[in-house]
Amino acid sequence: MNAPATTLQAALQSLPQSASEAIVSANFSPQLLQALGFESDEVVPQYDTNGGIVDLAARKTIGNDIFLHTKSNPYLLVELKGKDINLTEGTPAYLKTVNQLKRQLLGSNCKSAEWGIITNSSHVQLFRKHGKVIFPATQCLALDLNNVDQVVADIRKKIQAPSRALTVTIYNNKGGVGKTTTTVNLAGILTFLGKKVLVIDFDLNQQDLTSALGIPVSDGVLKKALIDKNVDLKSAVVTYKFSNKKLQLSFDIIPADSELANNSDRELSELMRLYTLYDKLEFARQDYDYILIDSSPNWRFNSKLPVYAADVILIPTKHNNLFSLENAAMAIQKFIPEIQAEKEDGSPIALPIFFNGEKITEPQREVAQQAINNIMKNAKKAKFDLLPYFYPKYTNARKNLHIHEVPSYANIASAAFSRIPAVYRDRSAHEYYKSLAKEYFLQ
Amino acid sequence: MKSSNSIGSLMHLPINEIDPGDATDAPEFLIKATANILKQNGGRNWIPVIVKDIGKDSYQVIGNSFVYAVAQEAGLERVWCIIANDSDDTMTLTKILAGEDKPKINLSTASRDEIMAALQYLIEQPNSDLKSVKLAVATNRIDEAPRQYWKNFEPITSLKCGITKGKKLDAIQSVFYLTPQSMPDTINDVTILMTMTTVELKAIAKKRGITGISKMKKDALIEALSQ
Repeated sequence: MNAPATTLQAALQSLPQSASEAIVSANFSPQLLQALGFESDEVVPQYDTNGGIVDLAARKTIGNDIFLHTKSNPYLLVELKGKDINLTEGTPAYLKTVNQLKRQLLGSNCKSAEWGIITNSSHVQLFRKHGKVIFPATQCLALDLNNVDQVVADIRKKIQAPSRALTVTIYNNKGGVGKTTTTVNLAGILTFLGKKVLVIDFDLNQQDLTSALGIPVSDGVLKKALIDKNVDLKSAVVTYKFSNKKLQLSFDIIPADSELANNSDRELSELMRLYTLYDKLEFARQDYDYILIDSSPNWRFNSKLPVYAADVILIPTKHNNLFSLENAAMAIQKFIPEIQAEKEDGSPIALPIFFNGEKITEPQREVAQQAINNIMKNAKKAKFDLLPYFYPKYTNARKNLHIHEVPSYANIASAAFSRIPAVYRDRSAHEYYKSLAKEYFLQ
Repeated sequence: MKSSNSIGSLMHLPINEIDPGDATDAPEFLIKATANILKQNGGRNWIPVIVKDIGKDSYQVIGNSFVYAVAQEAGLERVWCIIANDSDDTMTLTKILAGEDKPKINLSTASRDEIMAALQYLIEQPNSDLKSVKLAVATNRIDEAPRQYWKNFEPITSLKCGITKGKKLDAIQSVFYLTPQSMPDTINDVTILMTMTTVELKAIAKKRGITGISKMKKDALIEALSQ
């Protein structure tokens, strides 16, 4: 290629080898924002997010509301770095930049922001923000003259059509940690808080979620919807309704399927691809705010499908069950990256673990912390940093070891007998799951 | 005489020119043992005492009074100090930065995360009066209450989150303060109305000229006011 054909290519080529942040900002970012579809009066430099100053914030003009003038409700944040800073995925500078972007996206002036980009003109990565959850929407991609137009066009396409739903798979390959309880009650409380929720019972063998809501197990409908190209997964959706004197609530559920339960894992893997569930959920991504998937406690084909379909993985653990902690580490360290490599868009990522279960006494907390420290030490030997997943509030200046807790007690467990989510029956359960929803999902 | 140009500078001041201000309440052992270590290691207090000017060659401690007490115990003739300005805000800030006072946050405007962090701090204090308070429940209830209008902390006691009048409410007041907004004349937000007592609702209804108040129950009052 002799003469660069596009403005982006020209901009990229004009940059010197070791362009500083100021040069990238002056000679590359205007063309980048233009290519992403933002005019000059739709971009504000040095925007104060209240979680730090971000290099660029952007939003389309809405009626008379020109972003450059009102500076309200940013839609996209861009954190720029110089070429002298290495943004290859996994490097210290990369992790630092991602954390910086996350803080900015969560700043109180950025409630409306849905996207964040980090770039130094050699690498670029797009992140999606849904409520409080920030997850990658692309891998960290290397930019060169040949691919820059394609990469930026792809990012533009994603930014212009954000999906409404966040897909959360509740997974731990240790059984009995409260996956189903978490799924049901999270669905219940998110619905109560005005969100539209779809729940999928993908725990093929146990089917507990379906029966916990008193819904009949479907008889081949889900299987047909998954393996037949011409059948819409929507056909498997039923509605769960709850009403009492004060409340009338409903959310949608795809119940477990008895025919799928009859198939061996091998048969399933011959009928479906890893991406089948993800593709089939296309219809739901614009119809719902949250898609919650309950999964099986194993790492076979039938639990890989829902992990592949997810944006983020929520991992319940028990403080007094070592295996639930070890398995959480295993999922974060091994299983989820395996799926990331297949999916190639950076997702799914694990959310920080939380403790689900009996009340924790001080000595028990010390035992659990000891166990976690050992798990983290072992992971470190394999060059894997589990810290953000176990102690999300720990930083190099603050030794904060708090882990979110959802105490479970008789009322929550026995709610299943009445076929009603505990959050609709019990005031404490209501508050605990509301707290979980607000801590993890809602901004 | 005030020499404003010395503000911010590190000075080696004679200890007898410094007034101790608010004395430290650190235990005798900590002061004596630290003084010994200070003497053994050359007698230089690397962490300075923070002082303000109160006259010619006279100063007052506004922060790190523990270091001052140690220097005194060690018998230092001069102690390293930083001179701060003499505003009250600086004094408050310095005491908080030095860990001598607790910071407070504005409950009228605090975010949910801030409320949760403050309550967690109180609950996890040794011998906390709030041991029995459930963090998730209290955070939700306080966060959702119309706290921007609270004139005092009393309404917390009616949120049924385990915080009662007395020691528990006192603990709450040690980390929060309020800058209440005045109640708008016409509230028709049902969620705010629901949190008010029937007496308060009746008073508002009277102001708005609604008739038949005396026979109305709470639900009816809320319905009338929300229109």
